[in-house]
Amino acid sequence: MTTTEDALEPAPATDGSRMPGEADMWFFVFFESLLFTSYFCVYLYFRTQNEAAFLQAQSHLLPWLGVLDTIVLVTSSWVMARCVQLARAGRHHTAKRFALLTAGLGVVFLALKMVEWVRLIDAGETFTSNDFMQYYFFLTGIHAVHLLIAFVVLGILVYHPVRSATALAGDHRDVRDVLAHDRSLLGGHIRHALHREVT
Amino acid sequence: MKRPAWLDDPKRELWFAWYATVAFYSLYSVAFFIITRTQPPGKPWYGPDQVVGWFADRHSGLLVGFALIFVLGGFSATSIALITYSIRRMSVSRAFAYSYLILYAVSAVPGFLFICVAMTVGAMRPERSAELQQWLYDLGFLSFSGTMGVFLVGSLIWMAAILLDQNRVFPRWFAYLNLCNALTEVVIAPSWIFQRGVLAWNGEIAWWMDVVVFGIYTGVFIFLLRKMIRREDFGTGPLPDLPPRRPPHTRPAREAVTS
Amino acid sequence: MKLSAKTRLFAAWFVLVAITLSYLWIDHAANARDMLLASTAVTMAAIGFALVKVRIILREFMDVRHAPPLLRRFTDLLVAIMAVALLGTYIVGKAVAS
Repeated sequence: MTTTEDALEPAPATDGSRMPGEADMWFFVFFESLLFTSYFCVYLYFRTQNEAAFLQAQSHLLPWLGVLDTIVLVTSSWVMARCVQLARAGRHHTAKRFALLTAGLGVVFLALKMVEWVRLIDAGETFTSNDFMQYYFFLTGIHAVHLLIAFVVLGILVYHPVRSATALAGDHRDVRDVLAHDRSLLGGHIRHALHREVT
Repeated sequence: MKRPAWLDDPKRELWFAWYATVAFYSLYSVAFFIITRTQPPGKPWYGPDQVVGWFADRHSGLLVGFALIFVLGGFSATSIALITYSIRRMSVSRAFAYSYLILYAVSAVPGFLFICVAMTVGAMRPERSAELQQWLYDLGFLSFSGTMGVFLVGSLIWMAAILLDQNRVFPRWFAYLNLCNALTEVVIAPSWIFQRGVLAWNGEIAWWMDVVVFGIYTGVFIFLLRKMIRREDFGTGPLPDLPPRRPPHTRPAREAVTS
Repeated sequence: MKLSAKTRLFAAWFVLVAITLSYLWIDHAANARDMLLASTAVTMAAIGFALVKVRIILREFMDVRHAPPLLRRFTDLLVAIMAVALLGTYIVGKAVAS
């Protein structure tokens, strides 16, 4: 952290006047968050009706792998937030690199997710094995779909220089940023809920 | 006799299509949920004898309700046509409009008509073997739910068109609502695999939540289409906004109301 | 001490990682004679932590801290709804199951 870098970054607006992203994007975040929460509520309810069986099935997961997944995702969120800060400071070239790094971390996450899935399937635990696995594959699957959407959004951000460059205030970048964080929000949801394990 | 004003309204076809859309979705809801009671869907795990009972319970309803659909189901075209029109009004390539039109027109066959045919056939001869009735039951429900993929791609096309549109035909949040709708249609896919549970064709996630989101989505787009027709200027540029509503006490006593 | 925006972001990341790592700890700590009781405690704690994380992500990474008051209130409302829905479902479910 150098003083010159700090000087380049504009002072954050603390008067609550800067809208991150656009209102339309926030509508999507709210709607999807509520939808995902509903899926989780369904999962939680059926879990309570069958707790012992769920715990048994859950013990096949590796908690440290789940934690690692979450850390990768949270880090990608951090990188994305830095990207927006840099864009606002006018450092578009570095911001673009950070956007690519975000995507890279997303790829790492997906790779780890594949490892998790393959490991489970190898051990005979599949989508249809039992109720818990049904929820596990479903929730992680739909989360992965959201991740893929985030890749598309990041791609537009990085490869549409006209839009990005003209939005010096970071409006468009903010929009992508909000969406990119949405997926880590959802990811956080899943991590804690599914990777608990009573040893 | 004085010629009615609406006959000369250049938007009369648009309004006809819009009212037909409202009528169609109302008919659809009444026919499926009340007359035939095929929604909420029957249980996927029913054995042949239970399916026979299911058909017997709904015998007249199925025949009457779906007869209505066969006669009036063509009005589903007005909804598709109006949405296609809205995409044509956008600044994006016409390919979007044509893709949407073809997708939805084609998907109406497996996604809407199959179940009507299958259930009517099943209801027509109650003395048919129980296994055959179960076959028709499965065909009907699986085709209705399982073909969501076509609809979801249509939603994505509409979403992409709205996001790229410079004519501001629809607000951007509606594009994202299309995405939400598409995502809930993704979760129907597992209904081909599960006979019970939340992901079966009648499951809490695969059906109930999907219907809630779809209901909201349909209500919203009917409202937005109405707004589009009111704003329509038959040009090719950005669609003008509606004039702001004046508070009642400032309106002149006699005002010609146009739609 | 006023943190620079960059430092603040790093601090947020650090806290999120720390909370995430703590899941490993609560798993281990829940070595119980009564597995079901421990599971309840772990689940509620996990949900609680997740809500904290969601709020941190919203405020810090998604920049709601500097957003207009309406958005700040809406995101807080979102977290509140999630809390009520998740914890409520779990508690009601447990009650129904017993």
